[in-house]
Amino acid sequence: MIKILAACGAGVNSSHQIKDALEREMGDRGYDVKCDAVMVKDITEDMISKYDIFTPIAKTDLGFTPSIPVVDAGPILYRIAAMAKPVYDKVEETIKSNGLK
Amino acid sequence: MQTEKEEPLFVEDTVYISSKTTAEEVIQEISDKLLEKGLVKPDFYQNVIGREKDYPTGIDLGVVNEALPNIAIPHTEGEFVNVRRVIPVHLEEPVTFKNMIDPDSSMEVKFLFMILNNDPEGQSNILAQIMNFCTTTSVNDLEAFFKSTDKSAIYEFLNRSFADQEL
Repeated sequence: MIKILAACGAGVNSSHQIKDALEREMGDRGYDVKCDAVMVKDITEDMISKYDIFTPIAKTDLGFTPSIPVVDAGPILYRIAAMAKPVYDKVEETIKSNGLK
Repeated sequence: MQTEKEEPLFVEDTVYISSKTTAEEVIQEISDKLLEKGLVKPDFYQNVIGREKDYPTGIDLGVVNEALPNIAIPHTEGEFVNVRRVIPVHLEEPVTFKNMIDPDSSMEVKFLFMILNNDPEGQSNILAQIMNFCTTTSVNDLEAFFKSTDKSAIYEFLNRSFADQEL
């Protein structure tokens, strides 16, 4: 299973929308993806090391350099296919290039 | 515990028109009204405004259609609210917010959807519904909606539009 960490300021709305969209789209593309939604301020180096891909809504200063690939997922929030597709493609490319399963 | 019937997302009594000119002022004004009604906790304002500085919520609708004004979706963690509801706020003057997906840039916003969400896990995503509304409603209808200062008309249009959504 591929584990993705979505994050936003409150961990309530944006990150949950990204979680729902990534699980649905990556599932449709044939990947076994599990995404968790959290608050940015709760992310630690230890927490992020347990995931395969980090998908914040915008460029995010965590106070440390993430040890996993980062894909900015903000455009997904618009729910416009043409805006979301490049994000989904980047996530898929990251899955393939890192041999994630 | 989750109830079978979802609470309504909009209530006519909590549609607002604001003449404030800064994000701090308008969020303070609306937070005070929501606190009076018992819909939020006393720390709501401080948490929303603090969060807005670190994780802004302005959404550029120019990428949807250049005719549309920008919106913002101020909100905070569920522990500071008592209900699940969206608070529409028509802004009489443009108010500057930072861009949610590009926090280094600012924009002028003309409408707020303040999200009170004490149940992020259990029900359909409120932000997704707001974005569906902004991206699938006809531009002419949206232009008229965003200009309206009639609270009843704002409520009716939102209630009808969101009820028609299929997520």
